Amino acid sequence: MTSTNPKRDRADGDVLLDVRDLSVIYESAGAAPVQAVDDVSFTLKRGEFVGLVGESGSGKSTLGFALTRLQKPPARTNGGNIFFDGSDIRELDTETLRTQRQGGFAMVLQSGMNALNPVRTIRNHFMDIFRAHGHVAKADREARAAELVRKVELDPSVLARYPGELSGGMRQRVSIALALSLEPQLMVFDEPTTALDVLVQHAVMDTIQSLQASENFTAILISHDLGIVLEATQRVLVMHEGRIVEDGASRDILERPQDDYTRMLLSHYADPRAEVVELPGFPARRSGAEPGTTRPRAEAGDAAVVTRSVRSADSAIVVDGVSKVYPPPRRGEKPVRALDDVSFTLEPGQSLALVGASGSGKSTLAKLITGIEKPTQGDVRFGDVDVTRLRAKGLRDLRSNVQMVFQDPYSALNPLHTVEYTLSRPIRNMTDLRGDDARARLHDLLTTVGLTPTETFAQKLPHQLSGGQRQRVVIARALASDPQVLIADEPVSMLDVSLRAGVLALLEDLREKWGVSLLYITHDLLSARLVTDDIMVLHDGKVVERGVTSEVLRNPQDEYTVRLLDAVPNPRRLREDVA
Amino acid sequence: MKYIAGKLGLFVLTLWAAVTLNFFLPRLMPGSPADAAIAKLAQNGPVTEATRAAIEAQLGVPDGSLWEQYASYLRQVVTLDFGVSYTFYPQTVSSMVSTALPYTLILVGIVTILAFVLGTLIGVAAAWKRGTWLDSLPTLSGSFMSTFPYFWTALLLLFFLGYVLHWFPTTGAYSATTTPAFSFAFLGDALLHAALPALTILLTSLGGWIIGMRNAMINTLGDDYVTFAEANGLRGGTVAIRYAARNAILPNLTGFGLALGGVVGGSILVEQVFGYPGIGYLLFNAVIGQDYPLMQALFLMITVSVLIANFLVDILYGVLDPRTRR
Repeated sequence: MTSTNPKRDRADGDVLLDVRDLSVIYESAGAAPVQAVDDVSFTLKRGEFVGLVGESGSGKSTLGFALTRLQKPPARTNGGNIFFDGSDIRELDTETLRTQRQGGFAMVLQSGMNALNPVRTIRNHFMDIFRAHGHVAKADREARAAELVRKVELDPSVLARYPGELSGGMRQRVSIALALSLEPQLMVFDEPTTALDVLVQHAVMDTIQSLQASENFTAILISHDLGIVLEATQRVLVMHEGRIVEDGASRDILERPQDDYTRMLLSHYADPRAEVVELPGFPARRSGAEPGTTRPRAEAGDAAVVTRSVRSADSAIVVDGVSKVYPPPRRGEKPVRALDDVSFTLEPGQSLALVGASGSGKSTLAKLITGIEKPTQGDVRFGDVDVTRLRAKGLRDLRSNVQMVFQDPYSALNPLHTVEYTLSRPIRNMTDLRGDDARARLHDLLTTVGLTPTETFAQKLPHQLSGGQRQRVVIARALASDPQVLIADEPVSMLDVSLRAGVLALLEDLREKWGVSLLYITHDLLSARLVTDDIMVLHDGKVVERGVTSEVLRNPQDEYTVRLLDAVPNPRRLREDVA
Repeated sequence: MKYIAGKLGLFVLTLWAAVTLNFFLPRLMPGSPADAAIAKLAQNGPVTEATRAAIEAQLGVPDGSLWEQYASYLRQVVTLDFGVSYTFYPQTVSSMVSTALPYTLILVGIVTILAFVLGTLIGVAAAWKRGTWLDSLPTLSGSFMSTFPYFWTALLLLFFLGYVLHWFPTTGAYSATTTPAFSFAFLGDALLHAALPALTILLTSLGGWIIGMRNAMINTLGDDYVTFAEANGLRGGTVAIRYAARNAILPNLTGFGLALGGVVGGSILVEQVFGYPGIGYLLFNAVIGQDYPLMQALFLMITVSVLIANFLVDILYGVLDPRTRR
C-alpha cells in the first residue's frame, strides 16, 4: 500500500485511473459472503504498463472485472470509487457505460479461445463493434478490420474464418485485435496467455508488449505468473487475499521485495539453466549428480506405504522405433504423423522427462505406453509383455503396473464422490485387499501423499480441497495399485506456483522411497530439471535431443530446446526499458 | 454442398430401411387379415367355402414369392397406392389420408411451429431479464401448464369456451352446413373450429419450449463470448440475439425436429376430444377397426415424416452452425 493518496487531485492530467477503497463482495445464495476485493486503492498513470499478480482466489480477476464494470452477480462492488479519466465508472448508467467502452476501457479475457462467438465469422465480430459505436465510417470498416488483424500479426484472410477454424493463439490474437478496435485508453488483460502453449504464450506476450508501446495505451496485465509479469511490465501490484500487499516498480519488487508473500512467490522461480536449482521445500539437485544412474531402491516396508510384496520383476518400459500416424483431420489434408521413430527405455526407478510444446507428440506417447492407443509402427514392451498386443484382461494387468497422473486435478476427480470412495475403487479393483486391510491401505496412501489427518481428508469431497490437495488425491489414486511406473502428464501446470513445489517434491519422494519409475511429461523445463535425471526433447513427433537433464538444459544443442528454455518465465529477465 | 449431399444420402438410406421394415414386420406376424376376419366369423357358426373365397378375394391374400411381394409393395409405395380401407370400404386409403392430412398439417403443423417460435422468443426474454417478473411469470406458468395432460386441458377448454360460453364450436373441422371450398366463409368457419384444438396444443407445448430456451440461454449468457461482447460495448439487443440466443437455440433444434416429425402423427387425444378429422383421428379409428391397410399407410407416413423433419433440421444445423459443416 504505497501509492494511496486519497487527496490526489483528480484533474491531474497524468492520472488515468484512480481506484479508491474499492471493495467487491461475492454474495452467493446459501453461502457466506466472501469479500473478494477488500478496500483496494491505487492509481494508474497514462501509458503505464502495470502487472497485477496473485494466486488463484487472490481477487485479481475480480478486481479486473470490477474495473471494467463487467462483474456479474453474485459479485457486487460494495464500496469505493473507480475514477476513470475523472468520472466514476461505478456511477455510469448502462448506456453511457456501453458507449464509454469505445475510446475508454477494454478487456481481453483469460480464455480467449472461448471469447469469440462460434457461429460468427471474425469479420462479423469486427463489424458488430463498428456498428455498435459508429466510430469508423462504413466505407473504411473493412480496411480497418484488416489493419487491426495485421497489427496482431495475423493475415487478413482470417476475417472470413469462423473461430473454430483458428488455433488458440490465433483466437487470442483476434480478441486482442477486437479490443484494440475500440481504440481504448486502458486495456485490461486477464491472464491473456494462460490457456496457450508455451511457445505461443511467449509470442503473444511479445505482441502485447510491442502493441502497448506502439499504440500507447495504458495496460493492466493480470496474471498468476510473477515471472511473466516482471518480464513484461514496469510496475507490479501484488494481490493476496483481496488486498494489494505490494505496489512497486518491477525492479524493486525483484530486488527488494517488501512483503513476505511477494518473497514467497519469487522464491519459486529459478533458472533451469543454473548450476544448482533450489526451490523452497525441495532438495537441491546438483548438476553433476551421478548422471544416468538409478537411485538405490528401498526395500518393501521401508516407506510409509507397505507395498503388496517385494516386486516380482523389475521391468523396464521399452519403446522401440515407434511411429503413430493419425488419419487426416479433414478431407484433403495430409495424415498427421504424431510420432516418428521414437525409441527409449525407462529403467526401473529412473525418472525421465519428456518435454515439448503442444503438438510435439508427448501425450500421444503416453497413450501408447498405457495401451490406450496402438502404434502404427514399432513396439512398446513392458518387461516381456508386448503392450501393443494386449486385450482387455492384459490391459488391466498392465494398468495395475503403469498408472497415469493427469494434468487437470479439477476434472480428474468425480465431484460427487468422497476421497475415500475415489481411492477405494482402485484398491478394490486392482488389489486383493479387502475390509480392514483395504481401509488401512487407503489411510497409508493418504499419509504417503501428505494428506493428514487421513480421517478428515478421507471424508472430503473434491470441491472442499485445494488444487494441490486434489492433485495429491489423484497421485494417491494412481499409487493404489502399487504401480511400478507413474506417467505424470503435466501434473503441476494447473496449480498455483506456491503449490507446485510440494507436488513435485512428493513425486521425487515416491521415487526415492518406493522405487517407482517416473515418466514426467511437461513443457515446463524448470520442473523437469527438479524431478528428473534424464530428458528427451520432442519436436513434431521426433526426438531432437536427449541426455542427462542438467547437461541438456545447461548446454542445449538443438535450436528447439533453446526456444523452450527462452519461453520459461524468468523474473530476472526484466523488460529492457525499465529504469 | 458436400454436407447436404452427405445428409441426403443418409436420408435416402434410412428412408429405404424404414420402408423395408414396414414391409417385413407385419409379415413376421402369423396369419393374414383374411384369416383374422374368417376366425371372427367362425365364432358365430361354420364358414362356407364361398364366404372364405369371397373374404380372401376382398382382402387379398399374398401371392408370389416374398421378393415379388416386396417389389410390388415398393411400386405401391412409390405410386402411393395403399389399397382399400377395411372400415371405410370402398374408399381407398390414399384418398382418406389425403383428406385428413391437410387438417392435421395445418392445425398441428402451424401450432407446433408457432409454439416453438413463441416459446423460444419468450425463453430468450426470460433469460435476458432473469430474476424479474418477465422471467418468473412465463417460467412458472409455463411449467405449470405443461404438467397438465393434453386431454385435460382440451376438456377444460371445451367445457368453458365451447359449452359454457359458446365462443367456439365444440366438434368437427367445419360446420355441417358449410361444404369444403376455397371461400372466405369456409376458411373462417374452419379457423373457428381449429381454434380450440390449436389452443390446447399451444398451451401444453409452449411451456417446454420456454423453459428449454431459457435454460440454454442462461448457460450461453455465462459464456466468455457474451462477456467479451459486453466488454466491447455491443448493444444489448445484439448481445442477446446474435451472441446468446443464436448459440442457445442450437441444442433446441433437435427437439424441434422431433416435434415436427410428430406433427403428422397428429395429436391423437386432441383430435379425438374435438372430433377433428385429422390423421390422429384417422389413426385412432384405424386401430379400433383393425384396418390394416390404413394403419400400414399411416405408420409409414409417420415414419417418413419424422425422417423428413430430421433431415430438414440437419440442413438447418448446417446453415446455423459452421462447426457441423466440416
